[in-house]
Amino acid sequence: MNSGRRHTKKAFPWRRSLWIASLLTPALVVMVLFVLWPLLSAFRLAFYEFNGLQPTGFIGFENFRKVLFEQPYSGWTYNALKHNIIAFVALMVFENGTAFLLAYALLKALPGHRIHQVIVFLPVVLSAVIVGFLWKLFLHPLFGLVNQTLALVGIGAIPWLGNENTALGSVLFANVWHWLGFPTLVLLAGMQRVGKEVIEAARLDGAGDYVLMTRIIWPLIAPSVTIVTILTFIGSFNWFEIPYVMAGLTGSPGGATDVLGLYFYRTAFGSTTTGIQDFGQGSALAVMMFIIVAGVTAIALRYLRRREIEL
Amino acid sequence: MSAVTISGVDKAYGKARVIHGVSVEIAAGEFVILVGPSGCGKSTLLRMIAGLEDISAGEIALDGKVINDIAPKSRDIAMVFQNYALYPHMTVRENMAFALTLKKTDKGDIDAKIMRAATILGLQDLLERYPRQLSGGQRQRVAMGRAIVRDPKVFLFDEPLSNLDAKLRVQMRSEIKALHQRLGTTIVYVTHDQVEAMTMADKIVVMNCGVVEQVGAPLDLYDRPANLFVAQFIGSPSMNILQGSTTAEGFTASDGTVFPLPLFEKTETALAWGIRPEHLRLADSGVPAVVEVVEPTGAETLIVAKAGNNTLSALLRERIRVAPGQHVFLAPDLTQLHLFNIDGRRIPSTV
Repeated sequence: MNSGRRHTKKAFPWRRSLWIASLLTPALVVMVLFVLWPLLSAFRLAFYEFNGLQPTGFIGFENFRKVLFEQPYSGWTYNALKHNIIAFVALMVFENGTAFLLAYALLKALPGHRIHQVIVFLPVVLSAVIVGFLWKLFLHPLFGLVNQTLALVGIGAIPWLGNENTALGSVLFANVWHWLGFPTLVLLAGMQRVGKEVIEAARLDGAGDYVLMTRIIWPLIAPSVTIVTILTFIGSFNWFEIPYVMAGLTGSPGGATDVLGLYFYRTAFGSTTTGIQDFGQGSALAVMMFIIVAGVTAIALRYLRRREIEL
Repeated sequence: MSAVTISGVDKAYGKARVIHGVSVEIAAGEFVILVGPSGCGKSTLLRMIAGLEDISAGEIALDGKVINDIAPKSRDIAMVFQNYALYPHMTVRENMAFALTLKKTDKGDIDAKIMRAATILGLQDLLERYPRQLSGGQRQRVAMGRAIVRDPKVFLFDEPLSNLDAKLRVQMRSEIKALHQRLGTTIVYVTHDQVEAMTMADKIVVMNCGVVEQVGAPLDLYDRPANLFVAQFIGSPSMNILQGSTTAEGFTASDGTVFPLPLFEKTETALAWGIRPEHLRLADSGVPAVVEVVEPTGAETLIVAKAGNNTLSALLRERIRVAPGQHVFLAPDLTQLHLFNIDGRRIPSTV
């Protein structure tokens, strides 16, 4: 066996290498073409001035200066960034908080938990465009399901997506509805890894549901919490589809639902109203989003990992 | 220290009944072992005492008070699990303190109780370690420590030694027994290992297929097994059983070999004849047999021999030199014979 392999190696040293290369090449080509190349071009173009069609000249950090410090661009940037941060905090509290409680309820394997597990996860498989469109219909001020239901208990029509105070919350709500199943499943898997006996031991030691959740399960599902937190962060800072479908490219009304993703898209590819494209500024925004996401993720991973315990 | 009364308890998962009308009296301070083959329902019964499984029918009472509907956390029962079930994110000290802090016990009290348990179990130097830094035997001790500090009404042990190596198992066996003698708390202990049951228990409950086959002191079960199942389950190596029937000459095995039965009244027809391997010896006369296997262990020699079509094992205290293929005579100790009737029930002898 051994000598046979050595013989093959000696006789055809290039065969094995060729085989490995042929397996790696397709994936590498796709990666370079659609991930690495756009990323590097964005980094390059962020330092160029654009005339609407092509780069016209190297201008250093000018694009970054504009989107960070020059009105009206900087105002739009911070407004969008604020909404990304609000989205992250809100999703952590409402989406992941609900997911934790749901996962705990599913863990208790009450009657019917299997069907509920499926129901909770079902929206995750839907496309964000469908979910956004669906909730836009549900939230229609006159004919929407939500307001018609509220009318039954005497609450007047609320323009959910038209009012600055409710628009972002409504869009976030649709997002929670869409994604709730995912953190639920990740947290449930983490809870199932804790081990039935540990939970039973805690019960016999006098722990009720609250103590069990806070003092046994929460510390022991740290790895799942890390994953969920990181993915929520990345998701909140790259948030695009649902706001785009529900509130449009300008983050209406009046930028109340604007996020970095929308602002980047408008700047780089032109808004529906002005049609002006500035690839340089857009790239500067994209580079900053990349740095925020990559940087915070790296730091958060190191910090969250410290909480994790070998089971 | 409390008495546990199990009366007419059933357990069913949907239509599958796994425990059928089990009744057992456990006196306060008693060390009771539930023993039986895998799947006999012994662990389920233990979990019902703990409150981790619902009771389908019947009652379990603690000191006369029915606890069927009392939550596990309010039963004041501590359990030691097979895989220890320590809290991985807590140190040994925190593991042991957990139940006490939930009961809002005074800090000084907690420390004193932990120190006492740690001293009993030799865990003083390990208190600040995490479970992952401990060996299997040490984890087992922590699991016991966690139960001891609570000073519960009853200790439950669910096959606590089956994850330990053979040497450690023997050592922990005597430690648990010493612990019981020291604390005097009622213990209900589940194992499938009849040696564990024989060496540790005040009282053994033999279970099979969800029913109690016999309850009694270890030596009672050994000397007077109620039926064929108990006779074969208790004792290692297990009892020789021959099929056949009682005749005028004694007991005639199915191949025609006749065994004398001086100490039995022949009022009931026996269908099985039994003798423990240690009650057979080599003699100049007796049942002729051919040696098949010889297993010397040092202190004892186990001989497996063929008498007609029947295989008999004999456990001999002497160091005898016999070789496979050799013809020998096996002489049964006639005062130690067991007879079983058609239901498998033991027919009592006249001694």
